[in-house]
Amino acid sequence: MNPPSRRAFVTAATASLLVSCAGHRADPETGSGPRSTPTRSRTPVNAARAVGRSVPVGLRIPVLGVDTPVIRLGLAPDGSMEVPPVTAHDRAGWYRHSPTPGQVGPSVIVGHVTVGAYGDGVFRHLARLRRGERIVARLAEGAAPEFAVTAVRTVPKADFPADEVYGDVDRPELRLITCGGPRTGDGYPDNVIVFAALSSAGP
Amino acid sequence: MRRTVLSATALACAAVLAGTVPAFADGASPVPSPRESVTASPAPAESTAPSAEPTRAPAEGQVSVVPREAPDTGVAPAQDGSGAQTGLIGGAAAAVFAAGGAVFLVRRRRATGA
Repeated sequence: MNPPSRRAFVTAATASLLVSCAGHRADPETGSGPRSTPTRSRTPVNAARAVGRSVPVGLRIPVLGVDTPVIRLGLAPDGSMEVPPVTAHDRAGWYRHSPTPGQVGPSVIVGHVTVGAYGDGVFRHLARLRRGERIVARLAEGAAPEFAVTAVRTVPKADFPADEVYGDVDRPELRLITCGGPRTGDGYPDNVIVFAALSSAGP
Repeated sequence: MRRTVLSATALACAAVLAGTVPAFADGASPVPSPRESVTASPAPAESTAPSAEPTRAPAEGQVSVVPREAPDTGVAPAQDGSGAQTGLIGGAAAAVFAAGGAVFLVRRRRATGA
């Protein structure tokens, strides 16, 4: 190798090293490297997005003709869930220790099936709901997220599936709970539980 | 010539050293980059019939306090009006009994007085 070719070789090697170093630095700064493409593609295009926290003030179940105000419920002194008052104008109640409708997690709303001498409760016909039917929550800040029924279950109160009702989930879901089963002198032996998932964040 | 080669080699070494950066998992920043949440996206999309059973997430505490028992949301209605009927029958029976007693007393008084 004569001197000029050796010089050319060294220069070429140096240049290629510099170019390769510069190339590795460019990717993270600009975000245009190959890693960013799969990151963007993880987000589903048509997924219903969770809505912000806002207390529910109303609930509609069009197929059952239910359109009710929603009150806030907490825990009774014995650790059970409070239920709406037994009145002529029965209302549903949102369990305030659960997410608000449209937030990620199981938002829990309960209502009576019957209210003693006043007759039918707001969730009298909850067990008639079928998979895919629509439930709309009205939130205090104006949003109205829509849910689609995924399952309706009637379970004995003694075997209430607390994990499935109150357990964590990875999307906004809704639980509507009332009593059910054949009526006895003491009340009802079962619970009717409607599971629903967010289908639209609404207006 | 030798000086040229040595200079070029030194330059190449400097370039390699300058290009050496700490091996961070994501980018050149030592600050952890925000984790992409794959689980936060709701699955049902536009479908009106999402999957039948809820899916579990690794996070905990979405329901911050789990109630002790199943909610008691059914106050049994009055016995379909049968309670009122029972009261009505009882009242009628009492009225008949009282009327019978009064008739009996009047007759007895008349009989005594006669």
